[in-house]
Amino acid sequence: MSRPATDPLAQLTEIRAIMERSSRFISLSGLSGVGAGVVALAGTAAGHWYLQQRYPNAGYLRLLQSTPQERELVLPYLLLLAVGMIGAALAVAFFFTLRRARRAGQPLWSALGRRLALSLFIPLAAGGLFCIALFLQGAVGLVVPGLLLFYGLALLNASKYTLDEIRWFGLTQIGLGLVAVLFPGFGLAFFALGFGLGHMGYGLLMYNRYERQ
Amino acid sequence: MKHLIHTLNKAFDNRVRLGVMAVLMANESVSFNELKEALDLTDGNLASHVSALEKAGYVVVSKQFVGKKPNTTYAASSEGKSAFQEHLTALEKLLRGA
Repeated sequence: MSRPATDPLAQLTEIRAIMERSSRFISLSGLSGVGAGVVALAGTAAGHWYLQQRYPNAGYLRLLQSTPQERELVLPYLLLLAVGMIGAALAVAFFFTLRRARRAGQPLWSALGRRLALSLFIPLAAGGLFCIALFLQGAVGLVVPGLLLFYGLALLNASKYTLDEIRWFGLTQIGLGLVAVLFPGFGLAFFALGFGLGHMGYGLLMYNRYERQ
Repeated sequence: MKHLIHTLNKAFDNRVRLGVMAVLMANESVSFNELKEALDLTDGNLASHVSALEKAGYVVVSKQFVGKKPNTTYAASSEGKSAFQEHLTALEKLLRGA
């Protein structure tokens, strides 16, 4: 690294590469999004199936008018489902992103990767806890819009450290969350739309732009 | 052409120093290890160049303690930022002239 760089074009190219590499985590794989979307759709189906079993013919709609005792009974199952979905989605995202980082010869757990993870997880954790409180206090119809909103804000917050598409994905989720507030009966559909199709759509977009050879 | 070459800042004629400034332009404040990771350098190599930039007044070093661990962070000074911008402009002029 010590030879003098006198060729101006080489210098400019290198400066651009260093600035890009040091300020943005670019190894994020679009396939992570596709995987997370599949997990979200499977999770929505599992949640729907569970609620139909528990409240035949009413399902999710019945949950909107449930008593505090009923909600406390279903909470462990729904939490388990949520934790399982987050775990599976993170595992898939980790797998594809690690693969992409290895191919590009970049470290995954760099200072930048840590900063990205932190800026994503702080709003996400706050949103998760807040939505559990909403659920327990009976505002069940606000849970899915809340999840979408907080997820969108988390993405928007993290987007300054990664690819630009994440910012648009965040804004999309925020918009969806706000629309979902108007249709409390369609919570599961909005969940599938935002977390399922949203991830898959943006994942495919990013994969096509950056990874497909 | 020759006179244009002389407008290039001598402080940036080394790739490591150029790299350090590039990282500090893109990030507000960066730790020593982050700099090392971003530029893929050894401790000694990086330290000497960073202190050269500090002497030139282009880099501001601040030392704090995180618990009991010393934590040194680096940031570009306003002179450093404008010197780097001028350097970039000079490079671009060179390219356009060529």
